[in-house]
Amino acid sequence: MSSDSVSYQQLLGIFACLALALVAHLESLPVWVLAAVGVSGGIRLLLARYGRPVPRSARLGVAALAIALLFLQFHTFNGLSAGTALLALMAGLKLLETDTRRDIYVITLIIYFVSLSALLEGESFWLLAYLIGVCWLTAATLLRLTTTLPVPDWRRCLRYSGRILSQALPLALVFWLLFPRFSGPLWHIPDTGHSAGSGLSDSMSPGDIDQLALSDEVAFRVRFAAATPSPQDRYWRGPVLHDFDGRTWRRSHSTTPGAPPLQPQGPAYRYTVSLEPHQHNWIYTLDWPSRWDLPGATLTADYTLVQQGPVSRPLDVDATSYTRVQSSAPLSDPLRTRDTRLSPGRNPRAVQFAQTLRSEHPDDMEYVRAVLSLFTQQPFYYTLTPPKLPRDSVDAFLFDTKRGFCEHYASAFAMLMRAAGIPSHVVTGYQGGTFNRFADYWIVRQSDAHAWDEVWIEGRGWMRIDPTAAIAPGRIEQGLNDALSADEPLVSRWQRRSAWFADVRLRLDALRQLWRGRILFFDQESQHKLLEWLNIPEPDGQKLVLLLTAALTLVLCWLTWQVRREIDPVRKELLIRAYARLCSKLAAVGMPRLAHEGAEDYAARVAERRPDLGSAVTALCRHYSSLRYAAAPARITINQFDAAVRAFRPKAKPARGQSSTPQDSRAS
Amino acid sequence: MRQAAIRQLRAWAARRHGRDSLPIKISRRRIYILPTRFGLMLAFVLVAMMIAGLNYNSNLGLAFAFLMVSVALVTMHHCNRNLLGLQVDVTTEVDAFAGREASFEFVLRNDSNVERRDVEICCMTAAGMRSVAAKSSESVPVAVPVTQRGMSRIDQFELRTRYPFGWFHAWTYVQGSLTAYVAPSPHGNRTLPAVGGVGSVDRGALAGDEDFAGLRAYEPGVPLKHMAWKVLARGGEAAVQSYTSLASQPEWLEWSSLEGQDTETRLSQLCLWVLESEAAQRVFGLRIPGKEIPPARGAAHRFACLRALAIYGIAEPR
Repeated sequence: MSSDSVSYQQLLGIFACLALALVAHLESLPVWVLAAVGVSGGIRLLLARYGRPVPRSARLGVAALAIALLFLQFHTFNGLSAGTALLALMAGLKLLETDTRRDIYVITLIIYFVSLSALLEGESFWLLAYLIGVCWLTAATLLRLTTTLPVPDWRRCLRYSGRILSQALPLALVFWLLFPRFSGPLWHIPDTGHSAGSGLSDSMSPGDIDQLALSDEVAFRVRFAAATPSPQDRYWRGPVLHDFDGRTWRRSHSTTPGAPPLQPQGPAYRYTVSLEPHQHNWIYTLDWPSRWDLPGATLTADYTLVQQGPVSRPLDVDATSYTRVQSSAPLSDPLRTRDTRLSPGRNPRAVQFAQTLRSEHPDDMEYVRAVLSLFTQQPFYYTLTPPKLPRDSVDAFLFDTKRGFCEHYASAFAMLMRAAGIPSHVVTGYQGGTFNRFADYWIVRQSDAHAWDEVWIEGRGWMRIDPTAAIAPGRIEQGLNDALSADEPLVSRWQRRSAWFADVRLRLDALRQLWRGRILFFDQESQHKLLEWLNIPEPDGQKLVLLLTAALTLVLCWLTWQVRREIDPVRKELLIRAYARLCSKLAAVGMPRLAHEGAEDYAARVAERRPDLGSAVTALCRHYSSLRYAAAPARITINQFDAAVRAFRPKAKPARGQSSTPQDSRAS
Repeated sequence: MRQAAIRQLRAWAARRHGRDSLPIKISRRRIYILPTRFGLMLAFVLVAMMIAGLNYNSNLGLAFAFLMVSVALVTMHHCNRNLLGLQVDVTTEVDAFAGREASFEFVLRNDSNVERRDVEICCMTAAGMRSVAAKSSESVPVAVPVTQRGMSRIDQFELRTRYPFGWFHAWTYVQGSLTAYVAPSPHGNRTLPAVGGVGSVDRGALAGDEDFAGLRAYEPGVPLKHMAWKVLARGGEAAVQSYTSLASQPEWLEWSSLEGQDTETRLSQLCLWVLESEAAQRVFGLRIPGKEIPPARGAAHRFACLRALAIYGIAEPR
């Protein structure tokens, strides 16, 4: 290294790389961390511009302050967000004290690690591509930094580091495919203090779900192994809500273990549900789940599948469900109490109405039907924009506004059941979904969020009643778009108009799903399948390591050849041999090359004496000259030249009468 | 300790490869490569990246970590290639003065289609760095400090590079002998002895025809303008036109004229005289015990004189 100091330009380059790497963390890092890095980089650049160093006291003060703030925010340096924040701050502070090249080397290493930490919880292809781009840029910056003497320009640096990166790709692929994966983490990963969950929550107030209906976000995707249930059976079960305070339904916190056994009826549906992270512990399954392939997951007493921690990363679950079930076991008293409880004094009109109606219909099923017919007979209206409701929301909805979305109907219906002494609760989840015909799976979006009821009928067990189906059957059969009138504010409505756009979207979604299945969820099992595909019997970790070693050896041999090819003198020898072959072929037809003759002169002489060979020989000789002597890359490779010479077969004598037509064997 | 290890490695490389005859083409068997301190830091970060990827079961994280590992491996090949197939030559005999530097001129020739960047040549404590473009050659001057009069011989020099990225350090040892004849440090207080009869040789008089005294046999070191080109063109022996002023009155730099001084002082004085005479374009001869160099002029003559002074009292190299 000729000089160890760092110029303004070099500082600017490395700061840009660091900023680009931190862009990937915009969502996960506290704003002040990003600001601190930006400010320290800015100060350093400004001072470098005027050729001044940063005062030492400033460095120490800023460092102490930043680390104290960081600890206050996270209370730990362990864990992904805190660790990344610490690294980012360190890089920012390092920028403040970059006086020598070694400081910049440290920053490049931090850039690499910060890029990685963005990928640890990320999942998109674009993020990976972006960060590889950042690393490419960092490598080019580093190349400029470590090269002395006339420093090459940016274009050449980018080209050279891009070349190294592209040569690394096959090697990285082998590593990635064959490096043994562990089934669990090496040590416990601390929970990342993530933002609030998305999608459904563990409570439901009027207006919650119609907010969701406006969201196009994907909740999960489902692929059925064989048969697909009919639309009116595609209820995706989420949290079940029991506690009602007159306005809001909540999940019950008193957990009663042991779900009463269900007797399945009808066909079983096997499927894989691919959940997007939603930060809650429940797993959406087809109503009602009976088997699932997820260690640690259990069924609650109200038949919702839950796991230990929140779903904070994409998750695939194989499960089996029955859409028709029955239960002859009696309902236990605590459960019955829980599901018939009402807050005293709330919604008095509805309670009174229910008691009147109940006296007319003593049979449970009759009563259910009577309530449902109420929704169809009276002018109830299904809308995404219902009026705001007061505290006694069911009273206001049933007797005043009569306009509501699924949660209004589900809430009112369950309340009317409880008021009549029939155990009932609200089930939230999703209903329906969009079929992706390009890849044969269903996309369930937030706009498919739904709420329905279950009532306990003696001798039959829990029975699903969806009051929305009574008021707006189209919602269940075709989906939300068809159930609402055209003036409703629905985001996805305009997409229906353009079938082409919808197709593009589905195709993109299919690609994303493929990426998810093949790349994000590549694991030990996938590796074993790969071994089986390679006809290696009884795959295990040991065979994997052997294969990895073999493949690495091969790729490294290829790499060595690839890297050394450019400086291999053998290739020149091939060229000279090929030219000698051409000369001896021409000598065989009576035109040996004279010792003093260059390639072009020789070609000219041949063309003069044998016009039939002229064009072919001229082309070959021109290629030879450019391959041998020209600085610029020739139009053909040495191997192609060799092949062309081999294919060249001059005739001993020019065919009579066609002496001027060129030979059919041509160069190139 | 590190120094000792490097010394051992150098000795081992010298035994392994034997003596090299220059010019030499750097073959792959003689290139050694190790990570630099920066490279070790990178390795540490890469291991941490892989562990993080495995622990989080993140396939994208692993993909990224493996890509970076592969980039490091590819870089190792590129670093090695930066020296591979390079041809090194050196001007083996240079003149130098004790207490100054012997400036060796290395030539790096690159026959390949790729540029060789930042190739450093290290000789003892001195080093020089150059980049060699594709299909071209570059000369690299390396000034090695020399302290003692005599024949300074360097048996081994080193070619090294950290290109690209500075993660790896590839190097090779070449056992080619570089010889510098280190003349005594030129100093002294005696003035240049006057030439007998004629004070100084006038260039104008040399060029004149009137002093022409006939032809002499050619001997190396004679100024080219005194060559009898016509004789040579006629197919005769190489001959030199002899002038009366030159032939009869050469200036002799005599060891014996410096009585009463010790050997090194005498040599230093003679060395100074040689340089002064040459600078004044005089014709001079050198007479020291055991060696007499007949009067002449020019670079080769000067070199012969300095060499004689350099190795006085030291065994003549074979």
